Amino acid sequence: MKKLVLIALIAISPMMAQVKEKIEVPYVAFPVKIGKGFETVQSMCLMCHSFGYIINQGRQSRAFWKGKVEKMIVHFKAPITKKDAKIIEDYLFEHYGNGKEK
Amino acid sequence: MERREFFKKAAVTAGAAALGTTAAEAGVTHQPMDNRKVSNIAFPEKRPLITYSDRPPLLETPREVFTSALTPNDQFFVRWHMPDIPTYIDPDKFTISVNGMVKKELKISLKELKEDYEQVEVAAVLQCGGNSRSAFSPTAGGIQWGSGAMGCALWKGVRLRDILDRAGVKKGAEWLAVRGSEKAAYYETPDFIRELHLDELDDHVIIAYQMNGEDLPYLNGFPVRLIIPGVYSDSWIKMIDRITVSDKYEKLFFMEHAYVIPDNECECETPEKKFPKTKPIYRMNVKSIIGYPANGDKLTLKSQAVIRGVAFDGGAGIKKVEISLDGGKSWDEAILDSGKLGRYAYRTFRYSFKPKKLGKLQIMARATNKLGEVQPLAKDIKWNHGGYKYNGIDVVTVEVV
Repeated sequence: MKKLVLIALIAISPMMAQVKEKIEVPYVAFPVKIGKGFETVQSMCLMCHSFGYIINQGRQSRAFWKGKVEKMIVHFKAPITKKDAKIIEDYLFEHYGNGKEK
Repeated sequence: MERREFFKKAAVTAGAAALGTTAAEAGVTHQPMDNRKVSNIAFPEKRPLITYSDRPPLLETPREVFTSALTPNDQFFVRWHMPDIPTYIDPDKFTISVNGMVKKELKISLKELKEDYEQVEVAAVLQCGGNSRSAFSPTAGGIQWGSGAMGCALWKGVRLRDILDRAGVKKGAEWLAVRGSEKAAYYETPDFIRELHLDELDDHVIIAYQMNGEDLPYLNGFPVRLIIPGVYSDSWIKMIDRITVSDKYEKLFFMEHAYVIPDNECECETPEKKFPKTKPIYRMNVKSIIGYPANGDKLTLKSQAVIRGVAFDGGAGIKKVEISLDGGKSWDEAILDSGKLGRYAYRTFRYSFKPKKLGKLQIMARATNKLGEVQPLAKDIKWNHGGYKYNGIDVVTVEVV
């Protein structure tokens, strides 16, 4: 009888996943700079990705950040208006900029 | 708060230190960042790893893990592209659709995949094309990985070729598009799809449901992912839900714009003048990483120390790994493992020596593959705008006490 139970278990086992319930991806609190334009950043950027993406780039030029915002619009189809794109660029350059335009 | 302090805080909070000031603008390469600590937050089925983002999750494996041929599942790096990853998949209901130019459309359950097809295994390195991107200056946009966006596992699954044979590829079909189930926040964002030419399908290309003898961890693509040994990981689609056979190559974002390098011989360009023609990154180049010791470690004078690490390439196989303890003036061969995991896996290397002098000691490792390709010095690597394919000679500096 024991043997039978074991066989039954083996037969089922390939279908048993290691995780049998919903996983929870933890929330990581990245420190963010609150400043002019932050609300726009929050609604337009953080919709798709964490603030970690921004911090991880290090301090960059205005052209770098402008290019990043454009990439999100052109390739990832983020619905960011021209006006908002400028606000985001200014925010990024002010807080994560290296002082250089190019 | 001072900027410096702010960044320090960022490092503590997220475990992902930001970069300092940018270097010269000419387009140079140097050793990748190596001072990031693992986060204090563990992600599902993972030990705490170097954490760049929670949404989508981006986790890097710390250096010390690269002393063994197989990377433990709970320390294997994680990289997703879209914010919305399915967080629950019922293995009893999950299916992979095979459609397009096939004689018979299929919906393959996990049970069928495991029982109705020949089961095969391959040990292979999975490496992000942007691994070590932090080596590039000026900053190549993208995640500023250190050297841990890679791992090696024993993958078990079914040959993609066998699945296509079952479906019956129609005459004239040339391409197949493999889609992952991660979703963007916006409907119009392109899906994460990798296109493969049917000629690329050799017997090593598999749909894997197991990694190192266990289910794939959720964050590594549970329940099934594509395995293309020798090729960068942007091609190894996770959580595959659909395979479409077609006679057309569709220009899709991730292959045409994201994971591309200059289509010239040096695969290089300058920040001011980007090369106009690009090609997708594909086969991996030869690379090695020292797992032990790590930067800042202390070794004891005149006491036997063993340097350990891993080496790999795009499938030609590793011929040798050499160690230099004098800044690259002389090189001495390390001992390689048997290589029984095959040509797509890590070859571990070890090198025993006695530190003879007190103070700082620089250790360098240089791999050569069976095609005679040798790792260049970091400074000899040419810049590209995506920061891809860095394979500079790894250098760690220890202190002999």
